[in-house]
Parts: sequence; structure tokens; C-alpha cells
Amino acid sequence: MARAWKSPVVARDNAPTPTAKQQSLPFAEPASLTGPLPPAKISLTPTAVTRLWFCIWLPNLPLEACRSSEAALAIVEEQHGIHRVLQADSVASAAGIMPGQSSNAALALLPTLTLEERSLVREQQVLERLATWLERFSSFVSIAGKDVLLLEIAGSLRLFGGLPHLRKTVSKGLRAQGFSAAMAIAPTPLAATWLARADRRVCIRAQENLGPVLRKLPLGCLDWPAGQRESLIAMGISSLGDCLRLPRDGFARRFGTERLLEIDRALGRLPDPRDSWRAPERFCADYEMTEEQSECALLLHICQELLLSHEQFLLARQLGTQRLYFSFFHLKSAATELQLGSAIADRSQKRWFDLLKIRFEALRLPEPVIAVRLRSGLSQPLQVDNAHLCFHAEGGKQQRRYSIAQLAERLAARIGEQSVSAISMVAEHRPEYAWKLQNPLSDWASNTLTTKSCVKRPLWMLPEPALLPADSGYPLYKGSRLTLLDGPERLETGWWDEQNISRDYYMAADGAGLRLWVFRNRQRTPNWYLHGIFG
Amino acid sequence: MSLEKLLENPRVWRGSSQVGARAGLASGYPKLDRCLPGGGWPFDALTEILIDQYGIGELRLLMPALAQLSREETQTHCSGSAESAEPGWIAWVAPPFQPYAPALQQCGIDLSRVLIVRPKDDSELLWSAEQALSSGTCAAVLLWPVTLDDQASRRLQLAAEKGHSWAIAFRPLSARQQPSAAALRLELQSTRQGTRVHILKSRGGRPAVLDSLL
Repeated sequence: MARAWKSPVVARDNAPTPTAKQQSLPFAEPASLTGPLPPAKISLTPTAVTRLWFCIWLPNLPLEACRSSEAALAIVEEQHGIHRVLQADSVASAAGIMPGQSSNAALALLPTLTLEERSLVREQQVLERLATWLERFSSFVSIAGKDVLLLEIAGSLRLFGGLPHLRKTVSKGLRAQGFSAAMAIAPTPLAATWLARADRRVCIRAQENLGPVLRKLPLGCLDWPAGQRESLIAMGISSLGDCLRLPRDGFARRFGTERLLEIDRALGRLPDPRDSWRAPERFCADYEMTEEQSECALLLHICQELLLSHEQFLLARQLGTQRLYFSFFHLKSAATELQLGSAIADRSQKRWFDLLKIRFEALRLPEPVIAVRLRSGLSQPLQVDNAHLCFHAEGGKQQRRYSIAQLAERLAARIGEQSVSAISMVAEHRPEYAWKLQNPLSDWASNTLTTKSCVKRPLWMLPEPALLPADSGYPLYKGSRLTLLDGPERLETGWWDEQNISRDYYMAADGAGLRLWVFRNRQRTPNWYLHGIFG
Repeated sequence: MSLEKLLENPRVWRGSSQVGARAGLASGYPKLDRCLPGGGWPFDALTEILIDQYGIGELRLLMPALAQLSREETQTHCSGSAESAEPGWIAWVAPPFQPYAPALQQCGIDLSRVLIVRPKDDSELLWSAEQALSSGTCAAVLLWPVTLDDQASRRLQLAAEKGHSWAIAFRPLSARQQPSAAALRLELQSTRQGTRVHILKSRGGRPAVLDSLL
């Protein structure tokens, strides 16, 4: 692109500013299509970066996107109210089924033929999946149209060991996934697309070599409307080279400026910006079954497959997640949701699967399952620890099986997250607020707070202070009168949040030697309460 | 045949020779330590404490040992382990009341290494306790089961051995007649003079009664 820009740009920069008339009629010059470009409206500074576009054209995408495992398969599409064959697989083609036949004719030729309606949504999903896969080869992947993928590979050549090797790796990977592709490499995206469509397995690296190759291309590979193509052929123009000899203004008038701009972009005389495909940051995948299933082992196996693709998804991004959401869809009732939590961000399929198995034991599915969906929570950078070098012979045997975080998440997975907690101190005088429970999955307590109080506190705390009956001013516990051993310790605080307390705490002993922590309420009606046991 | 020769016969079993391979964990009560084989709590094993009501000193009895566990590294207990250079955790499974954080701290327990688990029923309780014991991260697991049969106590005993952990089960006095796989069974009774500790069963030791220990 840069080389082609050079001569016209220098000339244009020195030339006087174009007049208003010239600007409004950019193609008014009586020159052929290859002649000098009309002045640009905006002065673009050309950069010295050379780009190289790798185009992958998937001609059999409608057939290959269909996951059916039938031997004889044909994809049909409705055209003018009649279902016509769009593509047929090798078995069907051998039986004489051709694209364009009506579905009835095809069935007459081969009664065992499976007909599948074309699904553009499915094809788009396949393209997106492939684009995500191709992200490993280039930082710039673009989906162009309904069956073309473009990669900018100028920056990837060195990493992947040169062009032939990269090309081989990509084609091998595509074949392994069951896709047949035509590939071409050119300095502009449009030229690469056209060359791939024409099935010219070429690789053009320099801009100046592009013109002669493009000139030979037939019009059939241009993806232009059929009517325009036919009228061009009627004019005696069958290749792109013939097209380029036409005058610019006449061509633009007959076929629209859009076509003219397309040719300019393909030749690299105009910039051709493309959208970069970005795979979603959160994982979401479905597994649809052909029939309802209720067998646990099978469902677990499906979940394991989903977890495996989830691991690969996160691996490509060097991320981990703390939450996973499974949905089990049923035909009639609402979907059963299952949520998994982990103490540290992780992506390992093994660890998530262990957690899932624990939860699965307790899961009751109301109905058989027809589809399973896995969504991942917010992704986070992985917390990676250094592995231990184990020099002791028996070290492996006595190693910890898993860390406390893993223990906590296993417990939380089985008995519920609110049932597992850590405790920490709070700087507070009121005994019931002097501590709090913490969720062990979110953050482990970092207890730096230490009590300065030298007054003894009970090891057991009652959830709520229990009212004690009293006998002539002394509390009774289980029928016997308590002896006050130590106290009082007066706590009078909490005026700021309506939970005002005013209490005298005592250590008391009952007849059997039990040590209790009791208090007398210093309010209008003084009452005795039991608040703790010294244990 | 001399007595020494008779004792060399491998068919002769002597209770006192069972212990000695490892020292116990000092309980902080010298009187109790003297009665226990190994001079302290049996580690890697299940200890049962039978009580008639909560709060008669069962926690006070354990606190010195638990405080020591929460401070020191578990490595000293797992000889030969290449890993675990940090103190172990103390798990409380289904405590009858809330363990009070300020009091635990006063007893010298590191609060950042306390895990409280509240299972819904006994089967979940045993599962959680077994997981915690065999994980190898918990130095001690305290549990309050409603019922604990012979089989369950054996499972706990095996899990404690596997994870080099100390299991402490609190049970009512009525469990005294039930068989148990525990290495040590204590009965606590509160009296006016203090709490009396009765060693019902001690693997490699002898039963004993300690009056007013606490």
C-alpha cells in the first residue's frame, strides 16, 4: 500500500488545494481506472507499515456447519418458494444430486438423503468460533461477509516460523476441525479475498506484483450482483483487467461508485479499514442434546466437556474465574441453575469438575435435561504460585492434599456458602458486635486487631442474651441461685446507632461449678440475662 | 526360660510398648500429661470428650494445646514433609454456641486460622469433618455430632491419621456404653471443687481419674 501511495501523494502534497468543483466530482477525470487517483478530500498520511492479509474462504461452510452425522446430506435453501439444493456432500453428489435441484428431485434420486435447512445463524456461530481459534495466529482477525475470514499476518510471520509454515499450520488446523478452505495472501484484504474466491493459491507480498495477478481474475470471483456481472459480460468484459481499462467516470455512472471504490481498495490505492474480531471476555457455551437425558453420568460427562473448552478459553487469555454458572434446561419446567464458587481464581477443569461432582450429588433435577449451558463469572488474572521442587523421596506421599482455600470451597459447594465462615475481631465495646463472620471465599481474614482488654471473656457466646429469672435480686439458672464471683464490669455505649446498651457484667457460678457470664440491664426494669458460658 | 526371653516372643503383646514412636501434644496440664501415653494428647487420632452439659470446662481443657497448634508450624508434626511451612487451621464443625472471637484471642489462638462450619445435619457434619481432617491443612478439627456410631468414629480416626490431624469429638455422657474407635476417651464431670477428668480409654495407657483438674 505504501509504495503505491508514494508517487501520487508527493504530487498531491505539492499541488494546490483542490477546488470545490473537483471535490464534488471526484471521478470526473477522463482517464481509465488505472489512471491517477482524484485528489482525496482528507489528506491521509501514508504509513510505512506493510500489511499482509491472509484470507480463508470456506466455500462449503453451509454443509460443514451442519453437525449432522448422516452419510448422505444435502443443504437446502428456499428460493422463490421452492426448496432447492444448495450443497450436497460427496455421497449425495455421487448419486447425481447437483446444486440447484429441487428437494423433490433430489429425494427422487436418492430416497435415503437427509435434507437440512440452511441456517445462517449456525454458520455465523461457526465463523465466530473459527475466528476465536484464529486469534492465536494474529492479533487482528476479521470476519468479512458470511464465509470469509481475514487475518493480518505481517506481524506474526517471525513468530510462526515464516509464511509457508504458518500457512501449513492454519490449513492443518482447519482440516482437523473438518473445514475445507481456499487460502490466499495479498497486501490488501480485498485482493486476498478475490484471489481466495478464485481459488488461486498464491502469495503476493509486494504491492507492485498485485496488479498483474488481479488483472487475470475472472469477474465471477468478485461477489458483485449477478445483474451487473451479466451486463459487464454482455459488454465483452470478462476479467478484472478488462474492467480496469474502462474510463473511471463512465464506469462509476454505469455501475455505481461503490464498485469503483472496491477496485481502488483492492489495488491498494485507497485505505481499506476492517473491523477486528474480539472474542467475548466471558465464556458461554451450550450443549444441546438430540434427546432428553436424565442419567447423571452422561450429564457429568457433558459438563466435563464444557469445562474443558472453558479451560481452553481462559488459557488463551491467561485468566481464571471464581464463579461458574451451570444451567440445565428442561422441556417443560424452568431451567435448573447451579452455581459454583472457588476461593481463588482458577480455570483448571479438574478442580472445577471435583467441585461440580460434590454439588451434583445433592442436585435434584425435576425433569430430564435437553440442554446444558455453562457461563463463567467475571474473569480475573490468574494467581500463580511457584511450584515446589520436591527433593525428599517421601515428600510426595505426605504432601498436603489441598490448601485451606480448596477445603473451604469444597465445604461451601456441599453444604452452602453461608455455612462456612471465618471469624475476625471488630474494634467495639459491645460484646455482641466485637466480632464478625467472614466469607472465606471472598477474602481470608487478616486479623491484625488484638484486644487490649484484660477482662476475661467467655469462650461460648449465646446467639441472643437469654433472660434469667431472679430471686430477691439474684439470678437463677436451672433453678439454682447463682453466686457472683467477679464483677461488675460496666459497659455503657452504643448511643450512636440506636443499639444503646447499659449493662453490668458478672462472672457467676452455679451449684455444679459451671461458670457463666451474666449481666444486669441498667434500664428502667432491671433484669438478669445470660450472655455466655466460660466453657 | 527367663522373663526377657519370653518377652521377646512376638506373640506377646504389651500395651505400654505401643506408644513411644511419637510424643503427644502437651496439654498444658502436667497432671493430665503424666497420665497420657506419650506425655500429651495423642496426635493423628480421634479424641472423644464426654460431657453432661456444655461449658463445664471442655474448651478450657483444650485451649493450651490448640493455642500451641495455631502458633507453631504443622511441619513439626508431619515429619519429613517437604511442604507446609505455615501453621495449621482449627476447624469448628457444628459448635453448639458461637465461639467468641475475643475470648479465643485471649487464649492465644490465631483468629485468622479459624474456620467455622455449620452443617445442616449429621451426615453433612461427618462429611465436613472427614474432609477437613484428611485435607492435611487443619491441625485440629472440633466436632459436635448428635450421634456418632462405631463406623463413623472409625472413619474419623482413619481420616485423622491420613491428614495428620487431631480430631476432637464432643459427645453426651450416654455415649459411654457405645464402642468407639477413638484413641482417647475422656469423661468430664463438674463438681464443686472443679472439673473431674476421667480417662475411660487410652490407647497404650491406663484409665485414670483426675479430680479437680480445672
